[in-house]
Amino acid sequence: MQLTMRQTHSIKQVITYSLLVLWTLICLFPIYWVVITSIKLPIAVFQGPKYIPWVDFQPTLNAWNFLLTGPTSAAVYRSWINSFILATTSSAIAVLLGGMAGYGLTRFHYHWPILNWRNNDIAFYVISQRMLPAVVVIIPYLIMFRVLSLIDTHQGMILAYTVFNMPFAVWIMRDFFQGLPVDLEESALIDGANRFQAFRHIVLPLAAPGFIATFLFCLVFTWNDYLFSLMLTFSRASTLPMFIAGEGTQSYGPQWWYLSALSLLSIAPMILITLFVERYITRGLVVGAIK
Amino acid sequence: MANAASTAAGTAAPRPTLHKVTPKRDRAASYAFLMPTVLLILGLSVFPLLFSFALVFLSWDLSRLEGGIRFAGLQNFVTLFNDTRFWNTARVTVIFVLASVTLQYFLGLALALLLNQDIKGRRFFRVAFLIPMMLTPAAVGYVGRMLFNESQGPINDLLQRVGLPNIPWLSNPTMALPSLILLDTWEWVPFMIIVLLAGLQALPPEVFESARVDGAGEWYIFRHITFPMLAPVSITVIVIRALEAFKLFDIVMVMTGGGPGTATETVTMYAYTVGMKNGNLGYASALAYSLLVMVIIFTTLFINTTRRAAQAED
Repeated sequence: MQLTMRQTHSIKQVITYSLLVLWTLICLFPIYWVVITSIKLPIAVFQGPKYIPWVDFQPTLNAWNFLLTGPTSAAVYRSWINSFILATTSSAIAVLLGGMAGYGLTRFHYHWPILNWRNNDIAFYVISQRMLPAVVVIIPYLIMFRVLSLIDTHQGMILAYTVFNMPFAVWIMRDFFQGLPVDLEESALIDGANRFQAFRHIVLPLAAPGFIATFLFCLVFTWNDYLFSLMLTFSRASTLPMFIAGEGTQSYGPQWWYLSALSLLSIAPMILITLFVERYITRGLVVGAIK
Repeated sequence: MANAASTAAGTAAPRPTLHKVTPKRDRAASYAFLMPTVLLILGLSVFPLLFSFALVFLSWDLSRLEGGIRFAGLQNFVTLFNDTRFWNTARVTVIFVLASVTLQYFLGLALALLLNQDIKGRRFFRVAFLIPMMLTPAAVGYVGRMLFNESQGPINDLLQRVGLPNIPWLSNPTMALPSLILLDTWEWVPFMIIVLLAGLQALPPEVFESARVDGAGEWYIFRHITFPMLAPVSITVIVIRALEAFKLFDIVMVMTGGGPGTATETVTMYAYTVGMKNGNLGYASALAYSLLVMVIIFTTLFINTTRRAAQAED
């Protein structure tokens, strides 16, 4: 039977949408699984897979109660707050300093005679640091932080995360400033403003979307980091991922309902960011990768 | 690695400039803008890198901060060369990188092509597809452990329902690495989708139109137009993902802990164990540097091979 063009087209449509929906399910099912596991009783976990609350199993808030009011709750709150403070502070610093460097790299001509480096070489020097496996720099950090008494402190972690985020911040912001017209700054400069005033009053407001995108990007990186926290903190400044990873190694075996609720404390803010500012994240990703 | 940068930097747009040379009155300002970043990176990234390199030639016992340091020459390299546990971690890491990045690239490309059509609800799909890569890897490790759980997990349950045998995902040494690859793929296909989709959307539409007018089939267009034109973006995403995959640490720590035995232990994990748990900083640095060498070898080989393939195509 010969298919008409219309029929081939609609068959293609059905296949396209089926595949897209299938992948959506694959993306979302694991998250659904964590959510329902967090409202299961231990018995509903051990009896084998149960899928639908109220139908397959009776939901309960026991795990959430334990998580938020139980004996470990103080440590949970502390790690959550640490994660929040470290991620927001280090991202803000990285974006501000990285943004300034990105601005400099697009507005001035640098030439370092001894190395014979110009703007592009400096930009490459910065971004190349992002390609290093983190473990290479973390081992010296252990020693440096000991000597400077920065182990397990907020200051130390903010410093480490700022440097970790900076290459990316410079890279994205540089691209952003390349797209900004210079006329406004130029006229401000002609009107007698100095460079910093022009940056503060003209460039910053114009570049706000770029700063937000970069900030969110750094925030996600920092919030999700485990290696730095594991190596450089042990209690006072330790973060949520470190607490999460540590809770699964208890001698009495993993308590999935509790671990699920705990994981959600870390995952949920990231899902919210994705839902509300997907555009910014996508933009940051694309610029970071292609440009 | 220098090649990777030139591919990445080569596409930078011409920048708007005020003057050909930075005028004198801006000299101080220009350095005030740039230097905080340059110095921070110098002090906390370049210096540690060199420090780490010096450590490779030392035997430094962390448990004794004073007196624990001794010059060891090439001893750490000799140990490394004869260390079967290291070679196993290197093998695990390389297999992991090759398999997961390949899988992620082709899945990502397929999904990006699907999304790059005139479809309804594209924004919904984009958001849903982005979510996995935003999630905390330590938490994702638990998700993997639950999903792959052999008796309580939904994956084996699903296999059983369609009449397939149960698979010992995490308890069997040969299956643990594939499980890890699948989980990592779940988390990182989003990156491929998003960047490849942006790459597809940036291709000039006229080329495709004229090919269609000439009667070219879909497959022909993909094979001879889309795929070659997308190559620079493909190479970039593959290199970025591979650089990240070489560092594999968090999901594997939580999902398998490197086990069963050392079946899924990666180089970063081993360096962590040697450095933190055993306090042997010199050897840990040698392990970390071996990872850096692997990364450089891989990137150079990959970029040269693809470049040669692209030239052969022309």
